[in-house]
This record gives sequence, C-alpha cells and structure tokens, in this order.
Amino acid sequence: MATTAAATPARVASPRFSGRLDIWPTVAAFVFLIGGWELLGRALQQEFFPPLSKVLTKLVEVQAEIFAALAISLQNLVIAFAFSLVFGIGLGLLMGAFRKVDAALDVYVNALLTAPSLVFAPVFFAIWGLERWSVIAVIVMYCVWIMVVNTVTAVRTVSIELLEMGESFGAPRLKIWTRIVLPSATPLIMAGVRLAMGRAVKGMLNGEMFIAIVGLGKLVQDGSRAFDASLVLAVLVVIIVIAFICVWLVQLIDNRLTRWLPKTSR
Amino acid sequence: MAETTLRIERVSLVRRVLDSSTLYRLIALGVFGGLWQLATLNHKSLLIPTFADTVAAIPDLLFGAQSSALWNAMYQSNIALVIGFAISIVLGIPLGLLIGRFHRIERFASLYLNILLVTPMAAIIPLLVMSLGIRDGAVPARVTLIVLFAIVMLIVNSRAGIRQVDPALIEMARCFGAGELSIWRRILIPSSIPAIMTGVRLGLGRAITGMVVIELLLIAVGLGSLIQRFEARFEGAHLYALIIIVVFEALILIQVVRWIERVVAPWRKMPTFGGGR
Amino acid sequence: MIEIKGLSKAFPGRRGSEPVQALKDVDLEVRDNEFLTVLGPSGCGKTTLLRVIAGLVGHDTGTVLVEGKPVTGPGPERAMVFQSFALMPWDNVLTNVAFGLEMQGVDKKTREMKALELIEMVGLGGFEKRLPGELSGGMQQRVGLARALAVSPKVLLMDEPFGALDEQTRRLLQEELLRIWEATRTTVVFITHSMEEAVLLGDRVVLMRPRPGRIDQILEVPMARPRSTHLDSVESSGEFTALVGLLWNNLRVMHSDVRRTHPATQAEARP
Repeated sequence: MATTAAATPARVASPRFSGRLDIWPTVAAFVFLIGGWELLGRALQQEFFPPLSKVLTKLVEVQAEIFAALAISLQNLVIAFAFSLVFGIGLGLLMGAFRKVDAALDVYVNALLTAPSLVFAPVFFAIWGLERWSVIAVIVMYCVWIMVVNTVTAVRTVSIELLEMGESFGAPRLKIWTRIVLPSATPLIMAGVRLAMGRAVKGMLNGEMFIAIVGLGKLVQDGSRAFDASLVLAVLVVIIVIAFICVWLVQLIDNRLTRWLPKTSR
Repeated sequence: MAETTLRIERVSLVRRVLDSSTLYRLIALGVFGGLWQLATLNHKSLLIPTFADTVAAIPDLLFGAQSSALWNAMYQSNIALVIGFAISIVLGIPLGLLIGRFHRIERFASLYLNILLVTPMAAIIPLLVMSLGIRDGAVPARVTLIVLFAIVMLIVNSRAGIRQVDPALIEMARCFGAGELSIWRRILIPSSIPAIMTGVRLGLGRAITGMVVIELLLIAVGLGSLIQRFEARFEGAHLYALIIIVVFEALILIQVVRWIERVVAPWRKMPTFGGGR
Repeated sequence: MIEIKGLSKAFPGRRGSEPVQALKDVDLEVRDNEFLTVLGPSGCGKTTLLRVIAGLVGHDTGTVLVEGKPVTGPGPERAMVFQSFALMPWDNVLTNVAFGLEMQGVDKKTREMKALELIEMVGLGGFEKRLPGELSGGMQQRVGLARALAVSPKVLLMDEPFGALDEQTRRLLQEELLRIWEATRTTVVFITHSMEEAVLLGDRVVLMRPRPGRIDQILEVPMARPRSTHLDSVESSGEFTALVGLLWNNLRVMHSDVRRTHPATQAEARP
C-alpha cells in the first residue's frame, strides 16, 4: 500500500481522501433544510406549507393511524418485493443463460422498464378491484424489471477468462454457474436490487394512493381531501425514512455478499 | 450454378429467420396474447377485455370514432410534459454542471439530491393542488410535478458527466494556457455531453412518469381523465388499448432521445447512471 | 534554459498520515538544446518534477527558473506530451493539434496551416480529419507530439510519452522523436522508467531515487549524434550496454531498499 501511494503522489492529494471534514457539509445541509423549512413555513403562513414543528406535532397526534397504515403498507411491500426478487432474478438468470429466451423477451422487459409503471394500475384494478393484490401488483411492476435487466447484464458480463479457466479445469456446467457465474454476477445483481428497493417504496405509495383503501397512500389521499397539508407531509416524512432504511438494509446485505470486492470499486 | 446459389440463399434466409431475435419476439408475443385470449374468453368480465378486442381497439382510438377524444387528451397531457421537461433541462443541466465542478457546492447539495431521488414525489401532489389550484387543467401544478420528477436525473447525470472528465485533459488544457472559460467550452462541456444526454433520456422517462402519475392519482385531465372515463363506462378494450398507446408514446419519445444521443456524441459509448424513478 | 535549486515538494498524507515527500532538495540545470532524460523507480518524484516545471503543481521551497524567469504557472514556452495522450475524443486530429495555438488566440486559418505542417512532420498526413478513437495508440501519441510542437515551445516536457505503447510502436516513435529533435534541437525533458530508452534518447540521464524523491546521480551519454539513422547499432554498442548496466546496478539497490522495508509488497507492486 505504502509503495503504491507514494508512486502516485498527485493522486493522493485528490479531495476524495481529504478526510474527516467530509460530513460537515452534509450536516450543514441538513440543519439548513430543517431550519429553512421551519422558518419558511412560519414566514409564509400558508396552509399548504406548514412549518416542520407543526408537521411533527401532527405526526405524534396521528401516530396510531400512521402505525396501523404503515403495518399494512409494509406487508404489501414485503410480499411484493419477495415475489419480485424470486421472479426478477429468476427471469434474469434464465435470460442470461439462454440466448433464445433473451431474444424473445428483451424488448418487452425493456419496454416495461421504460414505461411509466403506474399506467398499469387501472389494469390491475380491473382484475383485482379494491383488493390488496392490486397494490402488490403495482409494486411488482415498479421494481421487478430493473432486477431482470441488471441480472441479465450481470450474467452477460462475467469475465470470459474466468469461464474459460473453469472449463479448462473440467468444471461441469452447473459448477461453472455456482462457482463462477453467480459470484461474479452478485455485485451487479445487488445493484439492481438496491435500485428496485427505492422503486418499490414509490410503487407502494403510488399504488395505495391509486386504490386509496389502505395504507400510507390512503392517508395521503385523506390529507389531500381534508386540505390537511400537515398530514400529507407527516406521511411523506415517514415514507422518506422508510425508503432510506430499506435501501440501507439492502446495502448492508450487499456489503456482506460482496465483501471480496476491492473497496475502491464499490 | 444459379440454382445452387439460389438454394444457398434460401437456406441462409431460413437460418437468418431462425437466428433472428424478431422471430422469438413474435413467438413471445403470440404466447402472451394467446394466454390472455384463453383466460378472458371463459371469464367474461366487463373490465377485462380479450386480447383480440384490445388489439382491435387500438386503431379505433388512433383513427376511428374515438380519435378526437384521444388526440385532445394527448395534447392536454403533453403540453404540461413539454413545458415541464423544457424547464427541467434549462435549470437542471447548468445546475448539475456547476455542482459537479465545485466540490463545496456538491457536498452541500448531495443531501438534497438524495432526498429528491428517494422521495416518492406523488405524495406532494396534494400540496401542489392546495398551493397552485386545479383551475384551467391545473397546468402549473402538473408542470411543477413534472419538473420535480425529471430534474434530479438531469442534475445527477450532468454532475456525473463533469466528474468523469479525464483529469489529464483538463491538465493538458491548462498546460497549453487555457483559462477556466476555455476549459469549460473546449473540455468540460463536450466531454460531459454523453452523460448529459443520458440524463435527458432518463429525465424524459421520469417526466412522462410524472405526467401519468399526477393525472391518475389526483388531477384527472388529459389521458388520465380519458382512462377514468373508459373505466366508468366499463369500456375495457378501450381502457387497455389506451394504456398500450401511452406506453408506446413513452417508448417512442425515449427512442428519439436515444437517437439524438448517438448523433451528438458519436465518439463514445454512453455511460448510464441512476435509473430510479 | 531551466535552473532548479533546492526544490522540495510534499503532498498532504492520506487521512492524517505523514505527508509524502515527493521531492527533496533537488538541484538541476537543463542546458539549452539538450535532450535530458529522467529515470527512476516508481515514487521517485520524476513525474512531480516534470509537473513542477510545467507549472501544473506548485512547490514548497526552492526556485525553478525557465529562461531566467520563475515558474508561476503553465506558459507558452513550455509544452507537454502526456503518457495518456490526453487527446480530445470529440475533435479531429487537426483541431487537436491546433489546440495550443487556439488557446493562444491564433486565428483559425493560421493555426490550421501550422497544424497541417506538423501533422505532416509526424507522419500523419491524410489523417487530419480522423477522430482520435479511430487511430492506433502510436498514431495518437504522434498527434500529442504534433500538438506540443505546434506552439513552437522552447522546452518540450514529455511524461513517459511512450509508456502506454507496445515495444515495436515505441521503437518507431523513438526514431521519429529523435529525427524531429535532431532537426529542431528543442530542449527536451523526457521522463521514462525504461533504462534503455533513457540512454538511447538522452544527452544526459538524471537518475532519481525514492523516499524522499531526490537526484541520485547524473550520467553523460557519450554516444554521438545524430542517432536516429542507426538506432540499432547504437543499441548494440559497448557504451550503450555499459551505461544501461551501470544504471541497472544503481536502480537494483533502490528496489532492494523497498524489499527490506516492505517484504510483502515488493514484486507485485512494481509495474
């Protein structure tokens, strides 16, 4: 390490390594955000933009409702995400393994990834009506395709040298998959899962807002109908926290699964 | 002689058809349509049309009796998209470039960008409605939402574009006496164009999402209100056909941007960033 | 041409660790019309030395004079050739070669005429409309060389310019560079990590040693000029072999320095 660091002195000076002061701008930005929200809210005196303190008061006030809604929402999220993991990575591996499957499906998968996912909500509503499956289907629609696409790319970009190495040592096809393809593909697959997590949370809220019978999405719609901006923002704060926690959880798993990656390329 | 060449040609044609992806795509479409048709034939439902009815409804919407309703809705929806996306480009790209060039701003801004990326923007629609109203098709509220959806992608990718500029190029320019202005004009901007265009493409995707989301969730105008009308009248085939048309609009628009990407930056393959929505 | 006295330069260390002393008390004079090669193992500060002369990084102590004037930043009398070529992939060969003149505010017609002349000189006539991505590595570095020569510099600074090229291309470009240099006699400071290259091209070889970066010794190269016409016989001469051998004996000691202090990282840390 010491020798390579000395070998490129110019690069050592790059700001990425300048160390401890790094978190201060973030802290400042956070304080600025909180303070700015509070002050602006007080100054504006507008119904649609209440100060943070009012939103937090509201949050405490309706916590029972929010927790009940949250429980339902998270259930939807977990069911949909679990299904998407199995289906998305499974389909991705199939498409990665068999050229013909890939040829048959790649345009459609890409189209579904590009298309605005919520546009399919009326279809699901037509099929399942007000049941929770409508919401779950919306969440799946939001998050599954990015996993498929990333998994296909992950399988396709496994180093040919490694594959040839496996073959030259006489590894059977199955062994090549379990010992070489899957481990090499894990980082990219996990990157897809991470993106999918963020999308899933959005799908959850949007789906629930569309169906508007259960969960956090319904609370937002309630707040909207009652012109209660505090309620809307309180739910939004909860959603943002949930989203950060979910993505962070995926990141934790990712870090465990891909510990062998050199730190710099992470 | 001629006969053998002909036969070789025919063989290679068969081969080419068998090897081409188009065949498999058509097979996949056929299987999907067939399953749909089978599933719906036996379970007659008002809102779930058969595959054949849905396919037949597409030309009806585009050119038939319903076409004026469709094109009207298209215009209403897309006017907000055009304005919103234009604003996103004009604000987002310069902002992203500045953030990318100056690390101080970057550190400060990254928290906000992360929040913008993670926040489900749909939740703030009620606030937009409360503040901007829904009179005259709610254009200000819709435009604002589309900007909020799209601008992050433009900022984040323009920033990435600046940050991945080869430092050797900047150093080279400084060596030959270039000032900050020349460095921007001759190095930073051209070098960032592929990433900026990627941002434009992803941003467009998100702008379309924003357009659809606000119309479906809260302010039923344009395509959103047309969808609701078909739903209320149980015109399942038209409902499904309309959804397919909206998806196709998105795909066509994004394909156009892809094409522009290739034209303006032919010297290198496009990197991609983000892709969340 | 260039006078360096008591030059020291340190870079801040990573996360509070010790600063890296890239250069310490370097004294060096580069004579007019001299081809000076600088050789040393990784981490000896040779690239930093070049970047200080170029005015791309500042220095802590000492003086650096080019034509009697202290270096405060890049200047038109110095032009650099980069290891990574540093060509703008969106501009064609002509625009790339004319870049230095463009920055000096030379009008389009004049600078393109000058650029064409140099494109011809480095053997790329007919390629002026190509994009760098369509050229081989050797051709790209010819463009880099032409771009540097186009501004008619007093000093040509070359930072391992052939380091990214394969052996055969490298040899062709060495010949080309010597041929051009023998015609123009521009002062050259040439960084390399190849002993053969240093001896083959240079009038003098500056040998540097690492931790901290400093000058070990300066060797005169006795072989006569011009050499470009008979590089092969230069390379098989006894003087050449003796000098390369001498350099390697000195370099080997520097490497075994490293081995004693970092037993785990010796072999694989060396390129």
